[in-house]
Amino acid sequence: MNKRIIEAYVGEYASGKSENAINRALELNSQGRKVRLVDLDLVNPFYTLRPIKKELGQKGIEVVAWGRGEATGLGEAGSLLKPEMKWALHGGGDVVLDIGYGIEGLKVLNLIEGAAEDKFLKVYVVVNIARPMTAAVGDIIEYVTSLGEVDGLINNSHLGTETDREIIHEGAYIVSKVSQELGVPVVATAVAKEYAHLVGKKDPMGNPIKIIDLFMKDAYW
Amino acid sequence: MSIQPQMPRLWRRETKPHKFCPGCGHPLILKALAEAIDELGIADRTIFGCDIGCSLLSWDFFNLDTVQTHHGRTTPVMVGIKRARPELICIAYMGDGGGYAIGSQHLVNSAVRNENIMAVLANNTVYAMTGGQMAPTTMPDQKTETSPYGRNVKEAGNPTQGPEMVAAIASQDAYVARGTISKLGQLKNFFKKGLKNQMEGKGFSFIEALSACPTNWRTNAEETWNFIEKDMTKYYTVGEIKAPVQDKEG
Amino acid sequence: MEQKPIQGEKKVFMTGNETVAWAALAAKADIMYGYPITPQNEIMHYWTRLAPKHNRKFLQTEDEISAGFTTVGGVLSGKRAFTATSGPGNVLMQDSLSMAEMMRIPIVMVVTQRGGPSTATVIYSQQETTLTCFGGNGEGIRVVYSTASHQELFDYTIKAFNTAWKYRFPTFVLGDGYQSQMREPLKIYDPDEKGIEFVPAVAQLGVEGEAGVDRDPIHLRNTYNMEDELYEVVRGLVDDFKAVAPEIEEYREQDVDDCEILVVAHGIVSRAVEGAVQQLRREGIKAGSFRPITLRPFPEKHLRRNAEKARKMLIVESAEGQLRRLAADAIYGCQTPMEGLFRPGESITVEEVVQAVKGLL
Repeated sequence: MNKRIIEAYVGEYASGKSENAINRALELNSQGRKVRLVDLDLVNPFYTLRPIKKELGQKGIEVVAWGRGEATGLGEAGSLLKPEMKWALHGGGDVVLDIGYGIEGLKVLNLIEGAAEDKFLKVYVVVNIARPMTAAVGDIIEYVTSLGEVDGLINNSHLGTETDREIIHEGAYIVSKVSQELGVPVVATAVAKEYAHLVGKKDPMGNPIKIIDLFMKDAYW
Repeated sequence: MSIQPQMPRLWRRETKPHKFCPGCGHPLILKALAEAIDELGIADRTIFGCDIGCSLLSWDFFNLDTVQTHHGRTTPVMVGIKRARPELICIAYMGDGGGYAIGSQHLVNSAVRNENIMAVLANNTVYAMTGGQMAPTTMPDQKTETSPYGRNVKEAGNPTQGPEMVAAIASQDAYVARGTISKLGQLKNFFKKGLKNQMEGKGFSFIEALSACPTNWRTNAEETWNFIEKDMTKYYTVGEIKAPVQDKEG
Repeated sequence: MEQKPIQGEKKVFMTGNETVAWAALAAKADIMYGYPITPQNEIMHYWTRLAPKHNRKFLQTEDEISAGFTTVGGVLSGKRAFTATSGPGNVLMQDSLSMAEMMRIPIVMVVTQRGGPSTATVIYSQQETTLTCFGGNGEGIRVVYSTASHQELFDYTIKAFNTAWKYRFPTFVLGDGYQSQMREPLKIYDPDEKGIEFVPAVAQLGVEGEAGVDRDPIHLRNTYNMEDELYEVVRGLVDDFKAVAPEIEEYREQDVDDCEILVVAHGIVSRAVEGAVQQLRREGIKAGSFRPITLRPFPEKHLRRNAEKARKMLIVESAEGQLRRLAADAIYGCQTPMEGLFRPGESITVEEVVQAVKGLL
């Protein structure tokens, strides 16, 4: 059996961490691995994985998030930790953690039994430079440093429906700069499938391109 | 020949005689307040906020920029001004209904946040302008229009001990006192200390003033003073309740 | 010199709530007063992160009553102050907004509508339309901009400060939970470089000079004793509002020239409606749309002009007829039948609008 994969995706609000987490879970799933995807957005849980829980479940991923029916009676915002979330690392299989935004950042991992001391845990920071708070090298360094120890950076720079080559490349450049300064590798430049034609196998800085499917657009509206 | 009483400089003659009932305690409180402001020389930067109920009748009382609001919201209005323009001295003036009932959250939370304003509350034991209903400060067994058989503390609870409550929750540096219109010199000094606290940036000050409402008490002059000096003081202790270390003048 | 929060113009990707925080910064807002309520929270989260970097202030109050009244205080003192809320918070804030309406206090308030009545959901609705337009014990002397995109959230939040200070009416940006949480690209910019001139904020209290010495004191009151005295004040407010209404009113129309079915929607629902009209036109169906951007003052004449030409009207909203009442009142006397597609607290898709229009043919 392959080594267990445990990954946490963290990033600024609306940086695309959920999209990257979902795609990673799907990737592992397609390799025939057992995957559990955990929604740890405690600031705004009802806006993240809940609406697509069923769809992902049908693909064979175990999604630990509040479902529509389960949320009944839990109050308006449902900022609650589901017991299954606390024990997410137990029971084997791969685990992908979608860490919500918030000033406490990675401290959310304290809520997961065994996460802090898990030797397999890898933490990836998702960055979109079109987000004004993480647009410049200095701001991103400040942000990443505030998180504590991380294992890799993902350039997820895009402009939604107005994404062009320039923003992807600019993102690659800036995130690579951060990587050099911090000594943390860029593990990928993520590009939505709709914009795959804008890129090749590698971005101009030599980082691998990872094509992702977008799910969150169906999350609401 | 008549001797004109010495009025504070802030006393706005154009709006006198004032609008309060004869025998009302408000003008005395306001007089002490005006003297305190005069003596501290801060009239050029003081903003006065009054509430609804009888305190609103002070809306044009002073030579001070003034805004009137309602339901104890004069406290957050003054907080809003102070936060936006810290150089101003802000005074929120209200009655016991606004401060202890409908707007009590503002008093409580301004005290907790140690907002750098002074709140002044007139305690006359009734809702006066609405016609003499029971107030948070109505004394046990006291009759009002809504406690016609006297305030039953089993049903209505005990009268609010406002300054004691504020003192319990306020910061170290807050200044809290209860004065009375029967000791105007002392009341003025309490105001001065409260205002100094604000000028020094130490934070919240709260001064309750025992006041009179002969109109709703249906009392003559003698009975009015008896009520203030004897009955009210049985329940409401007059004096400084919380004073940060300050110079000992006054 | 302090660095401007936004230099030049840049394309960004963000949520609606962040957009509002950036817009308020760009609009030179001095201070925000607020109280947590979903789905408004990230306006405060981002404001509190950004404000100290640009020498702006924030106060978290004890409730929305206080948030509203502290905003009143900030505005009276001559600062560009604003607040934001939603649902039950919007209900509590109406207390201070009535005061602002009465005393012409140029408050700016952002509303992110959530489901109602009462606490309901934190997700989305258009059920705060009536409340935002007419809340409080007043006459609706307010300006309400209903936005449909992040670009508009940015543009109209900036505009709201100018409208408020120019006309001295409380001014609202009416968004919703979807707009708050959705992410989309938009251009943020430095308003100065766009030639947007800011109407200066003027103190109503604490002005130059010593009261009673250098000048008369300013005495602002909100309470009147006699009916005729009050009547005069309110009449003045109403007349002033009506006089400037035509210059404040904004709307957007699409394919109205020859349209048989006129679809009316505001805010984010108008995006579904405009999409539906495009699709219907491709199918040869003569549909058109009208979107009031200002709900107060309501662009009455413009809706009437279109309504009178149409064979039927369809009002589409995520509420049970709140926009319909505004529209019906605006075109009173017009004989064009008015139907409704009402989905209180729920989203409405292009397909649903297409179906509803087809049902009217």
